[in-house]
Amino acid sequence: MSIPDPYCNDSSVDEHQLRNPRSSEAGMFQQIMRHVQQRVQRRVQRRVQRRVQSRMQSRMQSRMQSPMPRPLKRGVQLSAGILLLASVTPSFAVEPDSDWSEVLEEARGQTVYFNAWGGSDRINGYLGWVGKQLKADYGVTLEHVKVADIAEVVGQLEAARLVGRNEDGNVDLMWINGENFASLKRAGLLWGSFADNLPNARLLKDSASMQFDFSVAVDGLESPWGGAQLVFIHDTDTVPEPPRSAQALLEFVRNDGRFAYPAPPAFHGTTFIKQLLIELLTDSDAQAALSLPVEEADLAAITAPLWAYLDELHPLLRGSGKSWPTSGEMTRQLLDDGELDIAISFNPNEASAAVRGGQLPESVRTYVFDNGTIGNTHFVSIPWNASASAGAMVVADFLISPEAQARKADPEFWGEPTVLDLQRLDDEERALFDAVDLGVWALPIGAGKILPEPHSSWAQALEAAWLERYGQ
Amino acid sequence: MSVTSRWGQRVLALCLIGLFLLPVILGLGGTLLPAVGLTPELAPGNGFARILADPRFLPALTFSVFTGIVSTVLILAMTLLTLVCVHGTRWWSWMSALMPPVLAVPHAALAIGLIFLLAPSGELVRLISPALSGWERPPQSWVVPDSVGWSLIIGLVIKETPFLLLAAVSQLSALNVSASLRIGRTLGYAPARCWSRLILPRLYPRIRLTLMIILAFNLTVVDMAILLGPGNPPTLAVLLMSLVNDPGSRAAASAGAVLLGVLVAVCFFGMMAVECVVARVAARRRQSGERGHGMKLFRRLGMGAVVMILIASMSSLLLLLIWSFTRRWRFPDALPSQWTLANWTSRGDMLLQPAMTTLGIAVTVTVLSLLAAIIWLEFERRAIVPRLDGIWFVPLLIPQVSLLFGWQAVALWAGIDGQWWSVVYTHWLYTLPYVILILAVAWRELAPQWGHAAQVLGAGYWRVLWHIRLPLLRRPLCQASAVAVAVSVAQYLPTLLMGAGRHSTLATELVTSFGGVDRRVIAALAVLQSLLPLMAFVLALIYPVWRHARVARETAPSPIRALDR
Repeated sequence: MSIPDPYCNDSSVDEHQLRNPRSSEAGMFQQIMRHVQQRVQRRVQRRVQRRVQSRMQSRMQSRMQSPMPRPLKRGVQLSAGILLLASVTPSFAVEPDSDWSEVLEEARGQTVYFNAWGGSDRINGYLGWVGKQLKADYGVTLEHVKVADIAEVVGQLEAARLVGRNEDGNVDLMWINGENFASLKRAGLLWGSFADNLPNARLLKDSASMQFDFSVAVDGLESPWGGAQLVFIHDTDTVPEPPRSAQALLEFVRNDGRFAYPAPPAFHGTTFIKQLLIELLTDSDAQAALSLPVEEADLAAITAPLWAYLDELHPLLRGSGKSWPTSGEMTRQLLDDGELDIAISFNPNEASAAVRGGQLPESVRTYVFDNGTIGNTHFVSIPWNASASAGAMVVADFLISPEAQARKADPEFWGEPTVLDLQRLDDEERALFDAVDLGVWALPIGAGKILPEPHSSWAQALEAAWLERYGQ
Repeated sequence: MSVTSRWGQRVLALCLIGLFLLPVILGLGGTLLPAVGLTPELAPGNGFARILADPRFLPALTFSVFTGIVSTVLILAMTLLTLVCVHGTRWWSWMSALMPPVLAVPHAALAIGLIFLLAPSGELVRLISPALSGWERPPQSWVVPDSVGWSLIIGLVIKETPFLLLAAVSQLSALNVSASLRIGRTLGYAPARCWSRLILPRLYPRIRLTLMIILAFNLTVVDMAILLGPGNPPTLAVLLMSLVNDPGSRAAASAGAVLLGVLVAVCFFGMMAVECVVARVAARRRQSGERGHGMKLFRRLGMGAVVMILIASMSSLLLLLIWSFTRRWRFPDALPSQWTLANWTSRGDMLLQPAMTTLGIAVTVTVLSLLAAIIWLEFERRAIVPRLDGIWFVPLLIPQVSLLFGWQAVALWAGIDGQWWSVVYTHWLYTLPYVILILAVAWRELAPQWGHAAQVLGAGYWRVLWHIRLPLLRRPLCQASAVAVAVSVAQYLPTLLMGAGRHSTLATELVTSFGGVDRRVIAALAVLQSLLPLMAFVLALIYPVWRHARVARETAPSPIRALDR
């Protein structure tokens, strides 16, 4: 027994209509398959052509060396891809040395996944602005993928190489330097020499740290983005005369000074122990060893003074060398709370930005050690399997435009020293930089000598040795 | 009902179970294979040898065991103490009303609130400084997080005690507590003795499974351990997290995840052994005939414990709210010196985007879980499938790390990592158990007569379901949805591992950016993360009442209409 359904007798629904959608569905499926086939064919053709023409033969070879995916796996990937209706992937039309107009054209409409450290809201806010500009000017959508440590991304890329995902990668652009760049370059996981092809590259400074990233040749595989220097921030109300050398710092904590540094491998912590190492080495031979790969040096002998120093320092730190701040930003927060007397930063203008944002008192000042502190340049780079390399190039170019660099130099938004040579800008562009007010809280310009980074291999060796000694 | 449709339904039910168990089986396989070195292309090297040789492994393991076991013991003690001391007093209804919202606060938000509360420069010290304590600057005698693990233990106890307490309360109705107490009192036993002799022995088996879930959680939690545990050494789960994304260490991470699973199993066995001993001792003491005495102090203690837990979590939340409206708040001030709305307005996009992602995932997951649970329970009611309550607990008893490392590897291999729906799928795996377990009770208790009556009046199956059964179950359905939202919003590891960083939710955003990002914005993020489940709970409370009122208004003849007639 059932209730009569008034719609059952509706004669307007006839068999024809019931069957029709199904047939059109089948047609659509065929269409999609044909489309996919065409795309694949075109891609293969293009790749064969390019293999003949391109100068990038070596890169191709490295691509061929990756483990061939097994047919089963391919099948799963393909069916998964079709099932999920994954977005249609843009093809590799541009090469690192393509004509710029071609790059711009291909970039329009692309989404660029930019994997960058997301630990600072000011930087995140700046990248939000960059995204808006790119969308308006170039039709490129920027997605900031916030990562806690860019070494994770290096791991992801290595994993992608191992499973044979040589295109359609998850990362289009990444913020790197130092040992991460070195290991990607060594593994051949970078896209190509694109940096010199960017129109704004002619405005860059001529500086050694832009040609050699932690003593490793850059070769155009990454494009400079900003400069950084290790600085210390103190509150003149509590500490009128801060310690200006490693030995003075030890004396300072002995006299109840409140200090702590982020535990390596957090990069502020790693940089801090590199700084100590440079300063504690009195022997000029040993200092010279730092610019060479660590394998060529006697690690134990060179680092012995460092460990002796840290053994003495750690029990006197906040947290007694057992509980550590997680980042440089956290030391700044703890400085404001009064739990620390000295904060560590890698940005000479950070204090200025923080005071204006209500995160530090107006009595703070920035300083460096008397013998100088470590400084370096950081870069953006494109991995070999990027989905949107054209878009990534456009982003990299915009990041070194006078407009973007001037905004980045302003403590209101980020406050980081520029990588551009102001002499090469026209008057209007230079005016953008002149308008930036750093304030008294930042490191006075020209105040600190910049020391070069040790060779990139030292970071990992030091981190491992540190963890071995203090990580348990 | 025809035979074919019955078969069709069996197949559907099988698919559902398959869909649920697929990530579990693949995930465990994907963790085990790299660990024993069977996937050299994904994870080269001998995992077990490498993880055992890692100097951080043993300290991390010890630390995990210490925090996990101590916190679980404390949680059990707190729960029993609360039951014994507060049940039946006038505080009881207050407490039961406050518990669900406390339970809804996500782990990450609570952990951050606790840091703001307990740190040497935190609110507790600020309140008493400098007037009472004489501290012009924060004291140096402790830090949060501390190096022993007490911060983590406090966080876990505050977060999980309400969970166990609610589980226990829901079982009390079946135990006929007041009758037992009356009998015990008539025989001259003190109230606490009545509980320990008459009720707890029957209650414990009913909450054992929940306790096991809590133990597994405490031993393997990642997000709270990142925030509240010391980084050096971290807990084992956090150590493994730092290894898993490096292909060179993936084998070691997988092997560690297997060992973590073994550790949890060993702890389960240990728990059973302790149970046996306690049961034997208790049996002997039960026959001693001692009546005991009032123990007012004991009662005060229990009351104090539960009040502390409630106050700590409530004030953490309040503190997050205050920080999110702060412009300037320096150390000894008890309240901010300058207030602002800017943390909310000027960082709008930073808050909105993860909030929308979180909400989108949570709502989808809730709908899917409800759908799956309704299908399954209907099948069960009509005896198409057997009762399989045990199966739903499986993902909750396996450490998330052990399961998700492998599931992520499988996803990576199949090329489906970083997809929105794979995040949703993995969340579904962790919400469905709660939804099914909440609904199952109501579903089984619902009298079938209503449906029979409707069928006799000519309604078909769907009509009965839609117009009779589901409306009658409106309240549990709403509760289950609220719990599903709360569980999904709190998920950290599934989002992080399956989302490949592309789908940042409030949970992942909070944990990755804590310590780096402006504290005031962190507070705003945490407030948002707590607000979503709280809103879900409020809606779940209000909606059935409102519905009921509307239906009552529509059907009841109004006095005016009655006069007309």
